[in-house]
Amino acid sequence: MSSSLSGASPDYDLAVIGAGPAGQAACLSLNGALRIAVIDEQARPGGQILRQPPRAFSVADWMTGRAYRGLKARLAAFEALSNVDFMGGRSVLGLREAGGAWTLTLSGPSGVEEVSARRVLIAGGCYDLAVPIPGWTLPGVMSAGGTQAFIKSQQLVPGKRLAFAGSHPLQLLVAEQALEAGGEVAVVAFIQPFSTLVWRAITRPWAALTHGAVLLSALGSAWRLFRAGVPLRFGRPALSVEGQGRVSALRLGQTERFECDAAALCFGFMPQADLPRAAGLQVTPARPGGWKTNHDEWMRASRRGAYVAGETTGVKGAEAASAEGALAGLAVALDEGLIDQDEARRRARPWRKAREAAMWFSALLEAVADPGPFSARLPDADTIICRCEDVVLADLQAALARCDEVGSVKLATRCGMGACQGRNCEHSLLSLAGEPHSERSAFTARFPARPVRIGDLAAR
Amino acid sequence: MERLDVVVIGGGLVGAATAFRLAQAGASVAVVEAGYPNIGASGANAGSLHFQLERRFLENGEALADQAAQVLSLNRLAIEEWRRLDAEMGPDLHIHMRGGLMVAETADQVRTLERKVAREVEGGLDTRLIDGAEARIIAPGLSEAVTAAAYLASEGHADPKALTPAFMTRAQTAGVQLLQGARLTAVGSDAQGYRLTVRRGEADIELATRKVLIAAGAWTGRIGELFNLHLPIYPVALLMNVTERAPPMLEQLIQHVGQRLSMKQAHAGNMLIGGGWPSRMRLDATGRFDLDRSAELLTPSLAGNLGVASRIFPPVAELNLIRSWTGITAITADQTPLVGEVPQAPGVYVAAGGSAFTLGPVFARLLARLILDEREDRLSIFSPARFGHLNSFMGGRLA
Ligand SMILES: Cc1cc2nc3c(=O)[nH]c(=O)nc-3n(C[C@H](O)[C@H](O)[C@H](O)COP(=O)(O)OP(=O)(O)OC[C@H]3O[C@@H](n4cnc5c(N)ncnc54)[C@H](O)[C@@H]3O)c2cc1C
Ligand SMILES: Cc1cc2nc3c(=O)[nH]c(=O)nc-3n(C[C@H](O)[C@H](O)[C@H](O)COP(=O)(O)OP(=O)(O)OC[C@H]3O[C@@H](n4cnc5c(N)ncnc54)[C@H](O)[C@@H]3O)c2cc1C
Repeated sequence: MSSSLSGASPDYDLAVIGAGPAGQAACLSLNGALRIAVIDEQARPGGQILRQPPRAFSVADWMTGRAYRGLKARLAAFEALSNVDFMGGRSVLGLREAGGAWTLTLSGPSGVEEVSARRVLIAGGCYDLAVPIPGWTLPGVMSAGGTQAFIKSQQLVPGKRLAFAGSHPLQLLVAEQALEAGGEVAVVAFIQPFSTLVWRAITRPWAALTHGAVLLSALGSAWRLFRAGVPLRFGRPALSVEGQGRVSALRLGQTERFECDAAALCFGFMPQADLPRAAGLQVTPARPGGWKTNHDEWMRASRRGAYVAGETTGVKGAEAASAEGALAGLAVALDEGLIDQDEARRRARPWRKAREAAMWFSALLEAVADPGPFSARLPDADTIICRCEDVVLADLQAALARCDEVGSVKLATRCGMGACQGRNCEHSLLSLAGEPHSERSAFTARFPARPVRIGDLAAR
Repeated sequence: MERLDVVVIGGGLVGAATAFRLAQAGASVAVVEAGYPNIGASGANAGSLHFQLERRFLENGEALADQAAQVLSLNRLAIEEWRRLDAEMGPDLHIHMRGGLMVAETADQVRTLERKVAREVEGGLDTRLIDGAEARIIAPGLSEAVTAAAYLASEGHADPKALTPAFMTRAQTAGVQLLQGARLTAVGSDAQGYRLTVRRGEADIELATRKVLIAAGAWTGRIGELFNLHLPIYPVALLMNVTERAPPMLEQLIQHVGQRLSMKQAHAGNMLIGGGWPSRMRLDATGRFDLDRSAELLTPSLAGNLGVASRIFPPVAELNLIRSWTGITAITADQTPLVGEVPQAPGVYVAAGGSAFTLGPVFARLLARLILDEREDRLSIFSPARFGHLNSFMGGRLA
């Protein structure tokens, strides 16, 4: 492992984790002033929403549509920045602060390396909320987000006939993208009744009005799917996936069964929180699961020199993520003394407005898409909850009956001890243990944020 | 208020196992645990059954090594105890005693091993010095860098996640009352013994007891203060690493005589790598070590620990690390465990320090006898009496 010698000055002024809309916006609002390293697991910048296809295959009509135009323009501007070193294809495993500098441990194709910077912005985005249903661990079951990422970056559909199920309207869009990319859609099923979806939307009329276009596009997708003969189902809470060695059907309750060779589940998203938690930044429980990192009005996190922006602070969509990134960039400029309070405030104003407007909509979407607490719609007792260690619901219930401390249940059952370190099962266990909960009573997030080869970390 | 025979402070291995042995002998016992059973070092350790003298006993000169060799009498008892536990408690503890190798690379290290083996043989252990080739026959993944090893067939490992809960469940079945989420906050004394104030949630609970066992691991020194005692126990933070599950590749416990290393393959297939590399404890608001927060990982420890592991047992280098954690345990001023009654505070017993995963079950058996006023000489060399000078101004009646 190469290491920056202690005492030596940090490699960069700012390290940005994540080259999505938030990370890009931060760099853009800094006007070329600082030496910046931007680290991302993806080979190319873009983040979730603009996941770029690998350079090797050029996709002609990559990400068309009005919604993507502004984001793509910003991406192009970001890629043109000369004060930014983009370090793609590298995962940040951990970060720590000492003597006024942050050191990031990265793993990439050439092994483990360290990068240091005086300040760090965590803009790691979000990931799919895993909701255990019978059969969800069968090969061929993916998250709708993963399915979309696959379609976006490969222009391929992961299966011939896909079934969609969950609580999040995004599945309508992904189902339509799957159709367009040449796939067949067996069904799109919502666990909520149609009336609940609509009711949750109309009780937030302001958000619904200001974001009518987005809502219309979801409705538009629904309409086009319907026209293409795709069955749409609502109010089907008892989902299960069937198959021997691979998914062969999605079942909705006792009576309805849809044959398919791939299933996409879509229950919403959770903020990436491994790095903030392991770095000791304060977090708050997020809906529908996971943790959002706390920040002040300038996106400063609870430790000096650390900033957060985008979905890391709560799932809120690309527009709000961009706005937060820009605010974080201005905060860095302010804290560096590059601009004064007045300038920072003035330049922040449009971003704050944009963020607020977008937050209305994300609150609406969160309400509409909310699958409700896991504990309120438990699957069969033999459903796997921790897929890394094959811990089933009954194991957890038995352990909880003895001691309702999450840490104790983990030790007793191995829930959360596998390769994903609880990223996918912690929220289910917390829900079973009863809410409210605090981060201190949850799993302890530790190094490394991603599995890494021992030999790469070893001193030689 | 009904007076208990014994209140045990701490629901780690030492507390749970001693409570069980006391209850088996008919005593009325309560365990007071600030978090939940096994939340401390007992649930965070490496699970090694160290019966050979550990490297840390050898690195501070011959005099201290001689003194530390006193622990060998206890290690011999511990070997028997673990064999009995396997029969008494069943397969869930994953007790795996298939041998331990402490390896050497350099000529200097081989000489240290020779002296160590001689000491152990004198102390009644059947450790053997073997060469590198024989070590590789026993544990085929060992690298060519290994030139010699001390081999003890009874060493091994067990599952720390299972051991303490197993003792606690049995203790409760035998009548022990467990107060969890309950922190000892104040102590008074009276003619029959002690009155303890325990805070659980928003409420204070009062307990009256004849005797008290302080089994609070790294917190022992702090508990001592409540009894107006100096207990020379120091918290230290260590690093542990675990890989993804792997096919069977290592049956034994591997240690290194010249470097910090302990390595084994746990029953689920994960490789556990530790050996005493330091982490850093955080400080609380008053500037003292904060024992309730996890310690900070130190990168040089991580690289150093994984470095020795990869060099000594190369197959491990190809596995993925999934987690590095830190745990806080207790050491004494002279490295030898502190077990027994505190002379300046009659009826107050302490048990802490040392490799108390290995030794906890045997501490429990002997300590229970001592607490119940049976004759038990095997613990005398570990008695807190050896630090009597620290308490010559302490102890006495408590308010
Ligand atoms: C599958 C999916 C589909 C979505 N579709 C939409 C949509 O249609 N419309 C919409 O408005 N929003 C959508 N979202 C939300 C979308 O992610 C955000 O709106 C927006 O991209 C958030 O920007 P961000 O900068 O916060 O995070 P992201 O764009 O997610 O960027 C974060 C980046 O950080 C990187 N990263 C994370 N952790 C590490 C690490 N440890 N080391 C190195 N790099 C790391 C990731 O690789 C990623 O590129 C979707 C989200 C997901 C997960
Ligand atoms: C990383 C690591 C690796 C180790 N590896 C090994 C090994 O391989 N082999 C080996 O033999 N040993 C090993 N050890 C040492 C071993 O784990 C400990 O010696 C042993 O677990 C101590 O048990 P205990 O019951 O004394 O303490 P603990 O398990 O720490 O229990 C003390 C309990 O006291 C409670 N407590 C504290 N204050 C209060 C209060 N005021 N009121 C009520 N309760 C309180 C705590 O919550 C805690 O549960 C290791 C230790 C660590 C940290």
